[in-house]
Amino acid sequence: MATLTQSDSCYTEQFGPTLSFAPAGGWGSRQPDKLVKTHCCFCGVQCGIQLKVSDNKVVGFEPWEEFPVNQGKLCPKGVKRYLQNDHPDRLLTPLVRTDSGFRAATWDEALSKTVAAIKSIQGKFGKDAFAFLGGASMTNEKAYLNGKFARLALQTANIDYNGRLCMVSAGAANRMAFGVDRAANPWSDIPLAKALLITGANIAECFPILTDHVWRARDHGAKIIVIDPRITPIARTADLFLPVRPGRDSALANGILHVMIERGWIDEAFIAAHTHDFDKVRALVAKYTPALTERITGVPAASIVKAAEIWGPAETSMLLHARGIEHHTKGVENVLTYINLVLATGRIGKPGCGYGTITGQGNGQGGREHGQRCNQLPGGRDINKPEHREFIAKFWGVPEPELPKQGLTACEIMDAIERGEIKGLLSISFNPLVSIPDASRTRAALEKLEFLGCIDFFLSETARHADVVLAGSLQEEDEGTVTTGEGRCVRLRNSVSPPGDARVDWQIICDLAARLGNAAAFNYARPKEIFDELAAASKGGPIDYSGMSYERLEQNFGIFWPCPAPEHPGTPRLFEGGEFHHPDGRAKFHAFDYRPPAEDVDAQFPLFFTSGRVVSQYLSGTQTRRIGALVEQYPEPLCEMHPRLAAKLGVKDRDLVRVSTRRGEITVPAQVVTSIRPDTVFVPYHWPGRKSANLLTNRALDPISKIPEFKVCACKVEKVADAPAQPARQFPARSQRAASTR
Amino acid sequence: MNDALEFFIDPSRCIGCQACVQACGECDTHRGTAMIHLDYVHRPTGVQTTPVVCMHCEDPTCAKVCPADAIKQDEQGVVLSAAKPRCVACSNCVLACPFGVPKMQTSFDLMMKCDMCYDRTSIGRKPMCATVCPSGALFYGPRDYVEKFRREQPVNEFQFGAQTVRTKVNMMTAPGVKALPFDVADFLPFEALDEDPLALARAGAPDVADAAVWHELHDPKAELELICE
Amino acid sequence: MPWMVAVGAACVVCAAVIAGSRGLKHFDAALLYYAIGSVLAAAAVAYRFTVWAQRPPSRMYFKRGLELLLRRGTGRLPAVALATADKIVAQNFIRRRSVYRWVMHLCLSGGCTLAFAITFPLVFGWVHFAPLTGDAETYRVMVLGFGVDSFHVAGVKAFVMFNLLNLSALIVLVGLIMAAVRRFTDAGERATQKFWEDILPLLLIFAVTATGLMLTVSYKFLGGRGHSLIAVVHLVSVLALLFYIPFGKLFHMFQRTCSLCVSLYKKAGARGPRAHCMCCGEDFASRMHVDDLKTVPD
Repeated sequence: MATLTQSDSCYTEQFGPTLSFAPAGGWGSRQPDKLVKTHCCFCGVQCGIQLKVSDNKVVGFEPWEEFPVNQGKLCPKGVKRYLQNDHPDRLLTPLVRTDSGFRAATWDEALSKTVAAIKSIQGKFGKDAFAFLGGASMTNEKAYLNGKFARLALQTANIDYNGRLCMVSAGAANRMAFGVDRAANPWSDIPLAKALLITGANIAECFPILTDHVWRARDHGAKIIVIDPRITPIARTADLFLPVRPGRDSALANGILHVMIERGWIDEAFIAAHTHDFDKVRALVAKYTPALTERITGVPAASIVKAAEIWGPAETSMLLHARGIEHHTKGVENVLTYINLVLATGRIGKPGCGYGTITGQGNGQGGREHGQRCNQLPGGRDINKPEHREFIAKFWGVPEPELPKQGLTACEIMDAIERGEIKGLLSISFNPLVSIPDASRTRAALEKLEFLGCIDFFLSETARHADVVLAGSLQEEDEGTVTTGEGRCVRLRNSVSPPGDARVDWQIICDLAARLGNAAAFNYARPKEIFDELAAASKGGPIDYSGMSYERLEQNFGIFWPCPAPEHPGTPRLFEGGEFHHPDGRAKFHAFDYRPPAEDVDAQFPLFFTSGRVVSQYLSGTQTRRIGALVEQYPEPLCEMHPRLAAKLGVKDRDLVRVSTRRGEITVPAQVVTSIRPDTVFVPYHWPGRKSANLLTNRALDPISKIPEFKVCACKVEKVADAPAQPARQFPARSQRAASTR
Repeated sequence: MNDALEFFIDPSRCIGCQACVQACGECDTHRGTAMIHLDYVHRPTGVQTTPVVCMHCEDPTCAKVCPADAIKQDEQGVVLSAAKPRCVACSNCVLACPFGVPKMQTSFDLMMKCDMCYDRTSIGRKPMCATVCPSGALFYGPRDYVEKFRREQPVNEFQFGAQTVRTKVNMMTAPGVKALPFDVADFLPFEALDEDPLALARAGAPDVADAAVWHELHDPKAELELICE
Repeated sequence: MPWMVAVGAACVVCAAVIAGSRGLKHFDAALLYYAIGSVLAAAAVAYRFTVWAQRPPSRMYFKRGLELLLRRGTGRLPAVALATADKIVAQNFIRRRSVYRWVMHLCLSGGCTLAFAITFPLVFGWVHFAPLTGDAETYRVMVLGFGVDSFHVAGVKAFVMFNLLNLSALIVLVGLIMAAVRRFTDAGERATQKFWEDILPLLLIFAVTATGLMLTVSYKFLGGRGHSLIAVVHLVSVLALLFYIPFGKLFHMFQRTCSLCVSLYKKAGARGPRAHCMCCGEDFASRMHVDDLKTVPD
């Protein structure tokens, strides 16, 4: 039973989060032994960075200006990322749970215990009763290895990863529309676009480096349309801002397409030659007049027309979106309706013309390509397709029927644990307690597990529940490759070795596999061998890495897949010449009518709740909540609300408010700002326990992608207490309404 | 020395991410203390932030008011941070700087301010903040590039009452851009200006568009089943 | 004005030498060059100090500091004493910046102060040692011509007396080594240090210290070999150091006096009326400071 055995404060005292402010050895002299050219571990942009290494410790960084994507630029997370190394909270040995907390254990004991639990649970309840959860912040090598480990060593169907909480809606939509799951263009196309449509993407805070690309487009005369319930820093100076009501995205896209068709801003020739099903879309959007769309979305009809006027006739254009439209029970539908806007203009597959979802996690792209998803085999192959199963079974040297079938997705695994169907879980680089919606249910589910094993470098909130914690490796302590949000596979170099008795993650997986009787299939001397194997496994698949090698990646600042041969230069831009990846080479329109979110506002819960990130924190905060400078930048979650709503609720800035939904409640300070819709409140999600926004969010899943609806649910807000007294700092009343351009 | 490279600040590009401030402390000479600032202009009414680095005045007021000769200007016009042996922590410079740049580190009895990463710029490299800035709000490069590619215009002369201050660092101005509203309410449909934030929250009517749209629709779930992932 | 102060300072030192050595009776002619150097250096320091103290911001603090001191007479003396102990003697502000630099700086400033405290009185003829009549083994310590103490030449006291200068040299040497390590290894310092400001003073202090110790080594262990040459080098290095003081980094030891005025000024400002931000209402400085500062730049 994976219940906690001591108070939260005891865990915090022993395992943090402790705030680290200064590098190993202090600020005084930081003459590095070497500078290691590698990449930042946070977010899918994977900025190039040079880590200063001294005495096997990362003591600082130096910008890496030669790397073409970020050219030395970094966000605050990248600047301070090195402080996660030589951290007091770092796990240095395996841990085994005791009656009060944990005790250090030998590797032999920890691995034996884990393997014994796996065998016992699988013996009693069947192979699928033991599940595996991976992470999208890990290297391609580990993603591949996780999938192989689950299928061959654990032989469970239930393997999935935390990318299920991130960009699977976009992935599914990409495959449905284009036949392949990748951003269609390299980011270097952004500055070439004359119109940018940015929807549900807080670029400035989640992918700060891409801001420069957006501004460069503006320098070249691009018009920028931002669609978001909040005025994000990108929206502040956008040419057009559409404050969409949460959960209404597909209606807005349909409304814009309505105007484009009416005004004739569509490319009939392209549609006829390269796509299917436009007629269905044309028929559907006929009813989405600006007036109706305004009623659904809360965006003025005039702004909807203006958006069509900017987007429709533009010479070149890029659509960029992120979790804002993907984290919905109709996430796939949202993405597909926006892709319709791209396909209808025919502006794709050309310089400055195309489309991109911006992946959020460190290896958000690569992590979803190599078989650590429940429905996927290496090379982006489909676990349900007989020919794909046959290829991989042969590649791994097992009979095809022995290869597990499609299993459950991440949230469904949690639901199955809750129902008692899954009894054991091995989790690596995943903190579901903080990141899966409806956290109270997640905690209850974890407590029902007969065995929970975690591979992690810090003791995450989830790992506190573990029976065995295996001390793994930070990104800089291992090497390998990651694939960035633009589809560029880049090389991570080893900077330091794991401290104490900690081991590199892939070695731990291989050790477990060996003890489960699969030593032969998991016999690697170094990550390069895993990479060569995954590249070979991807040969001929939808996601083809077979022409890549570490040497080539290093020489070329990474290579874009597909790269099917050693002399192939890679493919930065997809769909050139209107060639899509469906068998007939055509793209597909999808006509989706708007439908409301799983939970909409009503008299009892009258406000929209939405969540997201802040720039200084990353995902569940396992790493970034331990870095002092980042914590100080935004120390605790705040509830953003509009002054008009605040007045209605009698709330003043920094008053404590209780935000509650049908699932739970949290009490946080209010931040009264005009930059959010009056009918919506926002709380960022990086914190655990009583500050966790995911106590509130709704675990309703998209029927296709199984992504949960993080971005909209119904809540109510009440004032709990006055703001704590602060030093005399009163802002004078200011009239801001005068400056409207409308 | 790299005379061709200049410093340009463009608050219109700033996204408030604090990368510059965090990176400032990482410069070897700054030892964990950030010497620049980034603040919201007025967070309640908007997300405009403004990065403040030393403007490196041609005739620096900070140096003029320093009683201890602690603030020196080099041959290139870079105004250095207070010399550690000299600074007497009087705060004259903190109060006198027209741009609000110097800050007193009371625990050290030492004023520390942006020195344009002297250890880097003096050997032709870029300052830390302008190297990392993700938005290009802080830019260190040739004037040619700025004039050719940026829509904003650089200025380096400022008026403070009777005082005219000319600076080494340029501020980008955007003459062509109209004032922008910072309130979401200004972007909402006109009638929404007086809209009740709780207007949608009627009992039994979970979605505002229900009556208008849904009576004529087929079942969307049935359609979804046709599509396999 | 600065010239007059410089000449005045030189005269004061000359007068002190003449008076202190009882009309040059106890003046050691072998130390003549040191004495001349000291007089000239005093003039240079006085000149530099006057120029500096007359700059509007420094003048403002010195003026206000004196006003505050005199306004309540001796009531301010404890505050001044406290500030002196904290800032000039203990140098706590350096400790807060870095303990390493604090130890280094205490070694350098303490060792040098001790050395000067010994050598200036000897050079100026204020102190000399006279053998007791009838007992060549016992010396009397003569201060300003008055005997204040006596010691046996083989006693512990004698050993300490004769080696105090060597001890101060050793303390300085520790500080110099620490400074050298820092100058060689600290990436930030390496990037920004300047020869004239940061390296030269260390070299000069090292030259003085090393040659001073070599004099001892020469007459103690080498039978005086090379003594005269070393003595000349020592003299040159000491003079160089003295003349460097007003024109380089080391002048900060005189400028630190201003920090005492600043302490008084801040204390007075904290008690007096305050200035508040016109926008947010934050209390940011004393009214007096804001008003005084307006007069400074013009």
